[in-house]
Amino acid sequence: QSENSSLLPSFSEEDREIDMEISIIASSFIDGEIGSWDLKTGKALLKFKPCASPAHGLTAVGDKFLAASQLKASGSSGSIFFWSWNKPQVEVRSFPKEPILALTANSEGTYIVGGGKSGEIYLWEVATGKLLKKWHGHFQSVTCLVFSGDDSLLVSGSGDGSVKVWSLIRLFDDLQRQKGSTHEHYFTEHTMSVTDIVIDYGGCNALIVSASEDRTCKVWSLAKGKLLRSIVFPSAINALALDPCGSVFYAGGRDSKIYIGAMNATSDHCTKVLGSISEESKAITCLAYCAEGNLLLSGSEDGKICVWDPKTRHPVRTFDHGKGPVSNIQVVRKTFVTNLNKTLSSWKRNGASLPPPLEKFEKPEEDGIVIVDPPPFSDVPVYSSYLSADLIDEQVRELQQQGSAATEIEMERLKLEYKKSLQMNDQWQKNYENLLQVVMELQNGVTN
Amino acid sequence: FTSKTLISPKNPIFLHPHLSRISTASMASFERFVDMYDPRLKPKFLRNLLSEYVPNEKQPVTNFLSLPKVVSTIATHKLLSESPLASTEQKLQNKSNSAVDDCVDRLMTLISSDMPDKCWVGICLLGVTCQECSSDRFFASYSVWFNCLLSHIKNPASSRIVRVASCTSISDLLTRLSRFSNTKKDAVSHAAKVILPIIKLLDEDPSEALWESILHLLSTVVILFPAAFHSNYDKVEAAIAAKIFSAKTSSNMLKKFAHFLALLPKANKGDEASWSLMMQKLLISINVHLNNFFQGLEEETKGKKALQRLTPPGKDSPSPLGGLNGGLDDASWNSEQLIATRVSALMFCCSTMLTSSNRSKVNIPVGSLLSLVERLLAVNGSLPQAMSPFMTGIQQELVCLELPTLHSSALELLRATINSIRSQLLPYAAYVVRLVSSYFRKCSLPELKIKLYSVTTTLLKSMGVGMAMQLAQEVVTNASVDLDPTIVEGFDAVSTKTPLLTNRALLQAGTKKRKHSTKSAVEAENSAFEVGLPHNHSNSPISLKIAALEALETLLTIGGALGSDSWRERVDKLLMTTATNACVGRWANAGTYHCLPNKSTTDLVEIQLAALGAFLASLVSPSRVRPTFLAEGLELFRTGKFQAEMKVAGFCAHALMALEVVIHPRALPLDGLPSLSDRFPESSSLASQKQNTPNLNKLNGIAHNGDDLFNRWLAKADTPSNSEIQRTSDMTLPLQETKRLKLGNDLATVVSPSVQDHTDMVVASENVQEADVPEKVSESTVETLGHGSDKDAMVPKEGEDSAVKDSLMEEAGVVTKRESLGESDDDSVPSLQADDFLSSDSDIES
Repeated sequence: QSENSSLLPSFSEEDREIDMEISIIASSFIDGEIGSWDLKTGKALLKFKPCASPAHGLTAVGDKFLAASQLKASGSSGSIFFWSWNKPQVEVRSFPKEPILALTANSEGTYIVGGGKSGEIYLWEVATGKLLKKWHGHFQSVTCLVFSGDDSLLVSGSGDGSVKVWSLIRLFDDLQRQKGSTHEHYFTEHTMSVTDIVIDYGGCNALIVSASEDRTCKVWSLAKGKLLRSIVFPSAINALALDPCGSVFYAGGRDSKIYIGAMNATSDHCTKVLGSISEESKAITCLAYCAEGNLLLSGSEDGKICVWDPKTRHPVRTFDHGKGPVSNIQVVRKTFVTNLNKTLSSWKRNGASLPPPLEKFEKPEEDGIVIVDPPPFSDVPVYSSYLSADLIDEQVRELQQQGSAATEIEMERLKLEYKKSLQMNDQWQKNYENLLQVVMELQNGVTN
Repeated sequence: FTSKTLISPKNPIFLHPHLSRISTASMASFERFVDMYDPRLKPKFLRNLLSEYVPNEKQPVTNFLSLPKVVSTIATHKLLSESPLASTEQKLQNKSNSAVDDCVDRLMTLISSDMPDKCWVGICLLGVTCQECSSDRFFASYSVWFNCLLSHIKNPASSRIVRVASCTSISDLLTRLSRFSNTKKDAVSHAAKVILPIIKLLDEDPSEALWESILHLLSTVVILFPAAFHSNYDKVEAAIAAKIFSAKTSSNMLKKFAHFLALLPKANKGDEASWSLMMQKLLISINVHLNNFFQGLEEETKGKKALQRLTPPGKDSPSPLGGLNGGLDDASWNSEQLIATRVSALMFCCSTMLTSSNRSKVNIPVGSLLSLVERLLAVNGSLPQAMSPFMTGIQQELVCLELPTLHSSALELLRATINSIRSQLLPYAAYVVRLVSSYFRKCSLPELKIKLYSVTTTLLKSMGVGMAMQLAQEVVTNASVDLDPTIVEGFDAVSTKTPLLTNRALLQAGTKKRKHSTKSAVEAENSAFEVGLPHNHSNSPISLKIAALEALETLLTIGGALGSDSWRERVDKLLMTTATNACVGRWANAGTYHCLPNKSTTDLVEIQLAALGAFLASLVSPSRVRPTFLAEGLELFRTGKFQAEMKVAGFCAHALMALEVVIHPRALPLDGLPSLSDRFPESSSLASQKQNTPNLNKLNGIAHNGDDLFNRWLAKADTPSNSEIQRTSDMTLPLQETKRLKLGNDLATVVSPSVQDHTDMVVASENVQEADVPEKVSESTVETLGHGSDKDAMVPKEGEDSAVKDSLMEEAGVVTKRESLGESDDDSVPSLQADDFLSSDSDIES
């Protein structure tokens, strides 16, 4: 029965595959839901509801779960909802002090940053829900928040037209905070509300592009902290997406056109158009770029999501989100581990337990404990190594080294000891003989 | 004989190896094989191995030395694999099965032998069998094998080598077993059986070899079958803790025990509570030890605070590590050296716990860990004023002897902490930065400084640009000191020794002449001293230099653009000098070093790689100006490419490839995308029209001279732009213009020869200088070439030596460099402007 054919052979690492699913999520400003679609197949996935998130208010937190800020029509209060990837209902509801407009998370999914209507910026720790830091960012509402490529800097844009760059480390450094201003750069060249910000892959020399209702997009240098270029568009720009490998960005206009902007353009005007969504002028409301397959995604006011191939400048596919304008699109990558016969997915498991809600107030006391999530794929079985062959080699080598230092020293020691004991033996022998002699003499004396 | 063996080839055991060889030879002559991969060879190989090299129950073991050969042959030819063949080969399969059957039978008889040496051979080979045999065979017999091996561990009479081998073989057996996913339960119950016997052995037997194999087995069980520990968790913890606290454990073993202790929490259901509990116990134990160790060296409140933090009031403090008193009142308590090694081991355990991957969430007590590190690093052996009467000189001496070990462990712990919490260090980052900066100021031992650099590197890598802003100054200042080429140390002593020696000789000669001049005599003494010193510690500074270079390289990688106003220039120069010093003049040495199989070669290669790596980073890292030392770098890498040392040569080739983009900046047309010149027709200025046309003419003119180099250059420069013109015209221009252009959109037509005028050229070159926007380099190089030749009135003529042109090219490169140096800030944006000009020109032309 050992020949049982159902018996699994010893499988090795190659049998394990790590697979990635790329999907897009989209939400609307008007009461509705978060739709998600598989980008490869176009299949509609789970819908998360209810959700009414403002622009930039939807974010995937690492690959752990989904978060979106909610705005009530009344406007005085807001909330933040969490969904796990495999359940359509809201699982965690948080109620921050004020309505949050922009919401984003760092790529590891350990911090969530939210921008309030009053211009305050909040930073929460995801694992505990603690409000770690709250600071005054802008004079008016924070409209968009973007992390730099390495998550160490935060770029915020505001309704008052200002763009600020923050170093998170410095924000947390109370000593340095007291000394001077907290932000790294402060850009004030936009004259109207900033609608979107993107930052490219340049690391410390990255370029930041901001779009505004003042019909311009401006290119800033992170290293120099100043304006490099300002490009005028025929219409107000609602959304930006960056082509990661060229100095090109896409700008979604209120006139339903997607413009192609060049960061190094020589003129102040941009007239290049990738395409337009519809004849009747429905504004483009959001854009996203998917590096896998080089696709540009656009969402528009009439609830359509369009996937473009920027090379051919033709739409590849469209998704219907609903009636309301699409306020957010995000590309989400989720990884799976496929074993021979079962499929594990790290995000599903992690999604099973969502973190506590985000707290309203900063708490002064600090317990000095950080909750760290296991690295991805830590539940994949580990294989340890075989050792018998090495043991044989090692022990045989030890045998071969007979006569080497250790043994020789031991030998010498034994020789020495042997000599000593011989001497000792002689000594005893002598003593014995002496004693014997004495005894004999005594005996003789007695008998005599 | 021959006929007999031929008739009964199944009989594997021959009386004498010699005879067996004869018989094999005769068989081989009878039966031919396809090649060395012929599967029919396998059973024959195996039988030969068995008969010749593996001892049998009758003969004593004489030749241990052939065992590794047996193992390697089995592994190479997969002799035990019994690979399933096509069913037509049934006969062969039977043969191969029976050969393996015989082999396993032989091993089992050996294992049951009374002689320890035979038993040892059997057990070792059984371990190899577990690894190599087919899954069916393994699955059928693992239980029997396991019990057989376990009995040797349990048997009090078995000898030590047998036990060592048994532990290793069981570990291999369990490793193989873990790959069968349908026997998890059975596997766990098997693994659970070994725990208690080996823990007992650990207590009883003082042999380190045995401890090591026991630890290996325990680690295997913890990693593969954590559930097997079940109820024995506390016993295992106690046994391991007892070993760590024992004075008899050597420092080497101490580390291994600590490593296993770090893995142990995985066994306790692997949950976060057991991890935290272990960490808490470790930290308490460390702090208690330190309270004793640092008595008189720090305020006592520090230790109390640390303990309070670990066991907050209201919560129960955990039982001490190992369940005992933590070995607090044993006799060794007074030995500073023992306490120091013990604390180091415990801290190593903490570091391992932090860095080894966890399957569940863990709560890392960052606050306590960081304050422990700070506490350790704060003590430098000096006595606080108020404390001095409480400490004797001898005590201080003993503590100071051990302090470097503790500091080193503390830095290691700091690195592990940063490593494990990555981005979540954020709230503590400023604190860590201050800790690191202040220790940089205090630290002077190379070994500690190396660790400190590695902490810095980890910080930079995990926290990115924001951290580079904070740490740049500290790294640059310290690395400048450590890499200072004027300080004679280690390697540099070789090259600078001679001039110094002659110097000294001169000075001494001088003193002889002027004997009354005492001052110069003193100087002479000093210089002699300086020459002698480096030899004492020639090894450590090299590794220190490597660490400093790595830190600088990381800084440049992460935040090279940040230092443009301040430190960048200094660092670039420093790295150029260091790379040149490390390489030039030592290329030759490397060859001779190769003859000696000692460490100096690897040192040489390592410092060269580190220096070249950092230098490349300084050339490639973004900056506002063109890299100042590009020429030096290219030459250095070009020379390096021809070195015999393949690692260095390989790196230099890679560096040249990376730098190719710097010398030929690419503005490749974006695939399928329209051109980016968003210029309205009216916005093209007069200057830009004139800028291009004459230059292109000039290029053509030069090309007509028949210079090959220039033809190639021209081709290179033009291909992309040419194709881009078309694209540009297709996409950017209004329809009419596109049509017009298409009529003659060849470059030749665009560049009409009518404008070939000298004055135009001058205008063009002036324009270049005045232009605010940088050019694509191929373009600007060409333009400045024109400029240079104009100025010097050296317009290349027909038949002129190509060498002149070469030098012109070089000059042009230099000019370009200078130009961009002086230019506006815009140069960080790669510009495609050249194409814009071309397209606007073409408008006009057409």
